[in-house]
Amino acid sequence: MRRFLMMLMMLTGATAWAGGGQVTLPVDDREAVRFAVIGDNGNGQPAQYDVGRQMVVAHGAFPFEFVVMVGDNLYGSQTRRDFVDKFEIPYGPLLRMKIPFFAALGNHDEPTNREYPGFNMGGQRYYSFVRGKARFFVFDTNFMDPKQLAWIESTLQASTDDWKIAVFHHPIYSDGDRHGSNIQMRVALEPLLTKYGVDVVLTGHEHIYERIKPQKGITHFIVGSSGQLRKGGLTPSAMTAAGFDQDQAFMVATIIGEEMSFQVLSRTGVIVDSGVIRRREKS
Amino acid sequence: MTTSILPASKMTASRLDRRTPGQAVRFIRDHFLLLPLGAAIALVWANTAGESYFRFALAWAWPVNEIGMAFFVALIAQDVYEVVMPGGALHTWRYWALPMAGAVGGFVGAAMTFAAYVALVHEGPLLQAWPVACAVDVAAAYMVLRMIYPHRSRPLAFVLLLAVVTDVMVIAVATLNAPDFEFTPAAALLLLVALAMAAVMRRANVRSFLPYWLGPGTLSWLSFYLMGIHPALALVPIVPLLPHGPRPVDAFDDREDADPVHHSEHQWNEVAQLALFMFGLVNAGVIISHYDSGTWAVLIAALAGRPLGIIGGIGFAVAAGLSLPRGVRWRDVVVIALATTSGFTFALFVTTAVLPIGAVSSQITLGALLTAVGAGVTFLVAWQTGAARFGHRKAA
Repeated sequence: MRRFLMMLMMLTGATAWAGGGQVTLPVDDREAVRFAVIGDNGNGQPAQYDVGRQMVVAHGAFPFEFVVMVGDNLYGSQTRRDFVDKFEIPYGPLLRMKIPFFAALGNHDEPTNREYPGFNMGGQRYYSFVRGKARFFVFDTNFMDPKQLAWIESTLQASTDDWKIAVFHHPIYSDGDRHGSNIQMRVALEPLLTKYGVDVVLTGHEHIYERIKPQKGITHFIVGSSGQLRKGGLTPSAMTAAGFDQDQAFMVATIIGEEMSFQVLSRTGVIVDSGVIRRREKS
Repeated sequence: MTTSILPASKMTASRLDRRTPGQAVRFIRDHFLLLPLGAAIALVWANTAGESYFRFALAWAWPVNEIGMAFFVALIAQDVYEVVMPGGALHTWRYWALPMAGAVGGFVGAAMTFAAYVALVHEGPLLQAWPVACAVDVAAAYMVLRMIYPHRSRPLAFVLLLAVVTDVMVIAVATLNAPDFEFTPAAALLLLVALAMAAVMRRANVRSFLPYWLGPGTLSWLSFYLMGIHPALALVPIVPLLPHGPRPVDAFDDREDADPVHHSEHQWNEVAQLALFMFGLVNAGVIISHYDSGTWAVLIAALAGRPLGIIGGIGFAVAAGLSLPRGVRWRDVVVIALATTSGFTFALFVTTAVLPIGAVSSQITLGALLTAVGAGVTFLVAWQTGAARFGHRKAA
C-alpha cells in the first residue's frame, strides 16, 4: 500500500513537473522528430505481443517515424526463428508500415545481432543516426573499450545537431532493485555526455520504467519493461522523477524546436508518465 | 632476506601473533596478502563511495595494469624459469607428464563448463571472458596445499607444475583473444632488438636488473603495446636472458645470500608487491549488486569444471600408462585439483587483459574474486578425506 501511495505521489509529481496535467503530444508539425522507445522486450511472451499491439494503437494517434530499442532485444535462443517470434511478428504491423527500428546491444543480445538488418546497426556495436534536428548516439556498454570511448568523444564533439540523445543498455542512474546505477559507466561516460551537450539518455536493463530527475542537466529514462517486467522492482529515491513497475510499458516522444514531449504508456494503453523536456543550452 | 616472489615463508598464520609489526608486514607480503588486502579495500570503497572509487580506479588503471604489473609478472616468470632450468628443483621432465595432463584437463574442463553455462543462459557477450574461467592463482594453490601437506612434499611440486602450465596456456589464449591484438612486423622487430640488447648485457655480465628493465624492457614493452598484447607480459621474453641461478633447494625456497642478482631480485620484489596491492585496489572494486550470469559462469567453471577436468585428465593419463607419483594417492589428486580452484589474482589479471571496462567485466570480476571460496572447499575436502596432516589428526 505504501509503495502504491509513493508511486501515485511520484506520478502526480511528474505531471506537475511537466507543466500541470497530462501532456498531449503534438502531431502536425512537419519538422517534428517522432519516435518510440522500447527496451528489454524480446522475450516472445504474450506481454511483449500486447505491447506491440499497443504500439500500433499509439501509432494511430501519434504517427512515430522510428523506434529506438535500448537493448535485450532478444532473450533466450537467437536463431532465425527467434528473430521472427520475438521481433518480426510482435512488431509486424509497424515493420510493414516501413517504420525502422534502431537497436543498442544489451547483455542478452548476441554480438552478431548487429548484422541483423531489422536492427539497422550497420554491423556496428556503436553508431549514430540522425533524424531531423536530433542525433542519436548508440553505445555498447557491455564492452566500453578505449576505442569506443574515443569514438564517443569525437562523434559527440563533431555533432552540431540541436538535440543529442544517447542510447545504451546499462543505466548510469537507476533506482531499480536488481542492479541499481552502473557507477563505473557513469564515471566513464558522464563527463563526455555533459561536456558535449547530451540532452537525454535512454537506457534499459532494469525491468521497470523510471524517469530520473535531470542529473548534471541530463534527463535519464529507463525503459526496461517492454517485454520483461520486475513487478515492484522500483524503490523510488530523491532522484526519481517518475516510475512505473506494475505492468509492461513503452515510450513515445516528439521533438519540436527546443522541446521534447513524451508519454509513457502501459501495455493496456494507460498513460503512466508524460512531460516536456527543454533541450540544454549549447555552448 | 626474501628473494623469491612466490610464496616462500615457513611461518604459519598461527605464529603471526608472536611476531613484531615488521615481521607481520613481511608475513602479509610473503603470503601474497597484499592483493586480497587491496581487493578488500576496493570492494568496501566501491560499494560505499562508488563515484570516488571509480574515478580513482579509472585514473590509475593504466599505469598499474600496464606498467606496474609488468614487474610482478616478470618476477613470477623469473621464479618459474629458475625452478625449471637445469639444476632447478623441477627440472626433471619425468615430473611433468602427469601435471601437464591434469593442466590440459583442467583447462578444457573450465572452458567447456564456462561455455556451456553461457549457452544455457543465452548471454553471448560473456563468451569473450572464457580465458578468465581457466586462470589459476599459482600462489593461492601453493599456499592452500602448503597448509595441508608437509614442506617439500610431492603434492606441492605437483600443484605448482599444474598451475604454471595452466597459466601459460591461459596467457597464450588471452594474448590471441586480446581485443586489439594485431601482429605488426615493426613491433616484432622492436622485440628482437630488445632481446639482442638483453643478450649483450648478459654477456657483459650486467648483474643488476635495472639496466635490463630500462633498455630491453622498455623496447619490449613498446613492442607489446603496439601489437595490442597486454604490456604487463612485456618483460617475460627478457626473463630468460637475465642473470640466473637455479633454485635447487626446494621449489620456491628463500635464497639468503649476498649474490647481487638475488639482491636485485629482492629490491624489485618490493616494487612488484606494491604493484600487486595497487592492482587489487584498482581492479577488484565492483558493485556487489552487479553480480549476474558471468559471475556464476566463472564460479561454476572454476569450482566444478576445472577440478573435474584435472581429475579426468590425470585419470586418462594413468589409464594410458603413467603412474601417480610415489606417496600421492587419488584422494590427494582430488585435494590438488580443488586447490587450483582459486583464480583470484591471475583471473583478475586475465580479466584486465581480455575485457575492457563495462557490464561484462564487472560481473566477471566478481566471479574471479569469489573463486577464493575454493580454498575453503579444499580444506573441507582434505579434512573429510583425511589427507596429509588431517589424516594425522583423524588418527589422533
